[in-house]
Amino acid sequence: MARLHLKDIRKSFGETRVLTGVSLDIADGEFVSLVGPSGCGKSTLLRIIAGLETQDSGRFEIDEQRVDGVRAADRNLSMVFQSYALYPHLSVGENIAVPLNMRQLNALQRLPVIGPFLPGARGRRRAIHAQVARAAEMLDITHLLGRKPGQLSGGQRQRVAVGRALVREPAAFLLDEPLSNLDAKLRVHMRAEIAQLHRWLGATFIYVTHDQVEAMTMSDRIAVMLDGELLQVGAPSEVYERPADIRVAEFIGSPKINILPAATAADGSIACLGTETRMAVRGAEVRASQLGVRPEGLHLSREPADFTGEILHLENLGPELYVQLRLQGCDAPATLRADAALLPQLAVGQSVHLSFRRDRALAFDNDGKAVETRLLDRTPQTTPASGIKPEQGIAPDLGEERRAAHV
Amino acid sequence: MTTYRFSTGETIKHVVLILGALVVLLPFYLMVSTSLKAPQEIETNRGGFLGQQEMMVDGDCVRQGNAEEDCRQRPVVYNYTQAFEKAPLLRYLLNGVIVTVSIFIIQVVVALPCAYALAKLRFRGRSLVFGAVIVCLLIPVHAIALPLYIGLAKAGLTNSYAALIIPWTISAFGIFLMRQFFMTVPDDLIDAARMDGMSEFAIVWRVMLPAAVPALLAFAIFSVVAHWNDYFWPRIVITSSQELFTPPLGLREFKGEMADHAYGPMMATATIIVTPLIVAFLLAQRRFIEGITLSGMK
Ligand SMILES: Nc1ncnc2c1ncn2[C@@H]1O[C@H](COP(=O)(O)OP(=O)(O)OP(=O)(O)O)[C@@H](O)[C@H]1O
Ligand SMILES: [Mg+2]
Repeated sequence: MARLHLKDIRKSFGETRVLTGVSLDIADGEFVSLVGPSGCGKSTLLRIIAGLETQDSGRFEIDEQRVDGVRAADRNLSMVFQSYALYPHLSVGENIAVPLNMRQLNALQRLPVIGPFLPGARGRRRAIHAQVARAAEMLDITHLLGRKPGQLSGGQRQRVAVGRALVREPAAFLLDEPLSNLDAKLRVHMRAEIAQLHRWLGATFIYVTHDQVEAMTMSDRIAVMLDGELLQVGAPSEVYERPADIRVAEFIGSPKINILPAATAADGSIACLGTETRMAVRGAEVRASQLGVRPEGLHLSREPADFTGEILHLENLGPELYVQLRLQGCDAPATLRADAALLPQLAVGQSVHLSFRRDRALAFDNDGKAVETRLLDRTPQTTPASGIKPEQGIAPDLGEERRAAHV
Repeated sequence: MTTYRFSTGETIKHVVLILGALVVLLPFYLMVSTSLKAPQEIETNRGGFLGQQEMMVDGDCVRQGNAEEDCRQRPVVYNYTQAFEKAPLLRYLLNGVIVTVSIFIIQVVVALPCAYALAKLRFRGRSLVFGAVIVCLLIPVHAIALPLYIGLAKAGLTNSYAALIIPWTISAFGIFLMRQFFMTVPDDLIDAARMDGMSEFAIVWRVMLPAAVPALLAFAIFSVVAHWNDYFWPRIVITSSQELFTPPLGLREFKGEMADHAYGPMMATATIIVTPLIVAFLLAQRRFIEGITLSGMK
């Protein structure tokens, strides 16, 4: 159990600045995901937390205790590596026992051959054995304890790596893309298992991934990282619905959010692709120049509505349908998420009318920062085409002021 | 059934390889054959590979006043018993084992931490040190033999096991080979060991050593063969005490004492000396080749 506190951590490798001032507070027992594209510095940050790398500046505390300069072994953190990093010459049971052996036996008792016969060694070894057995049982790998890592499947290796991490009950778990070597199905399964493990143990978890689905589904909070800085830290729903930055909006959510060019008139009202959006920015100086609409916020419409577009491509995923469109007045293709039942009515090349949910549209200024908006009137949404229901879930908060999220 | 078609390319390849094999094997053939034959057969070059194995009379035995009847022996038996009787061959073999094994163990104790540091630790001047190791690889032993000898003589260490062992305990080749192997060990494994609470030395002995067994085996063969067969260095530092002779030095005994007709026992000795190495190589062959190709761990 531990609270972690990172303050203004910076790190460069030679000329490359990898971390440019990362600050983060992690509460006891929290599950925080660190997401970001490849090469943004996630692993580097995790390795600094683990003590495998030293930061150039900034401080790191565990439970109010500054641990900069403390050896990795003495920080009482566990790490699960992407490659699992199991000792190839040791059996599964021995692998899991290593962290306990290193901590609970002294140098003499660890010696091969004579070690087990030294005074006190037998009792401790028996205790270690029991701990290993318990961890194995928790992860359902008891039947594998005698095997070598080379004789295990990817998923089994992954469990063993988790077992080795949890057996000594560390202050916090650090996981660096532990699922990225697994196939899609196993990944979904292990995702649930790790989340469950977190609930059981109640320990602090820091989970690095570039898979935003993993981050969204498992975490208490998500920290979105880009180019060595944290752009936003917040609950998954907050990061998804109120991204603080256009880069966060683009990174979180699949298919990607549609970014449409917009213009702000002198009175603050926003126009997008030649249509009045009946939205306005709050504040006199604020200018929105881009509008973000998630694929589920766009709807096909029978009557002429906000936009018109031409269907470029249809992707049927079974339960739902992704429609790729070219909107009139916008070069970048847009994506729309629709009910798969609509498939027979649609064809590539067809021209369609589109409406969008203003209450869920996001406005960004020139620098990509989110700007606060309000809705100008209460006219009902354009009626969706038959068969298309407006998104359920979050109740529309029409007219209510919308606060831009902040880090 | 497989049919084999004639192909000029393949034929040439095989002819070349067969010739090469013959060149390498012929001395061994002669050595083993000579060790089996009677002196007359060796001189006249008759008797094929095994010799006729007719009873022969041991001249020394008769000279010592024994009846000729008692001194009759088969040539094989004569050669191989002579090998053990004329010189303390077992003692020489034991010396060989002591020296080669000590050298190898100390080489490993020195080379593994060095190689680990050169492969996996980041420190100032690392590439410089590694460059120095490469340079050491290029220095021939004979070039530094004299200064080494003088140093050992000044320290009063000639005619001792120490003189046979100490100069070889730091093997640039061993460091280089193990460093190349360690480069293939994933960094994550080492980081995992650190997280598990191991010190850097513990990592070397508990993680790197077991992972490096194939490479170590390859190095063992190089090291043991080189020092088991070494004639040059023991000849320089062992001048008086016969009880420190290594097997190659022991071979010389036959040359000096018994003039020309001792070829049989001499070749018997040579055969006995090389046999342990060949047996060891055959046993370790598969892993040895794994080590040479430095097939890392996946
Ligand atoms: N030891 C190192 N020496 C030099 N550069 C490094 C080192 N380690 C990492 N980097 C650089 O730091 C940057 C961030 O690396 P990092 O491994 O933290 O990325 P990441 O976010 O974990 O990416 P991924 O999702 O691909 O694992 C990269 O550009 C990488 O090249
Ligand atoms: Mg990484």
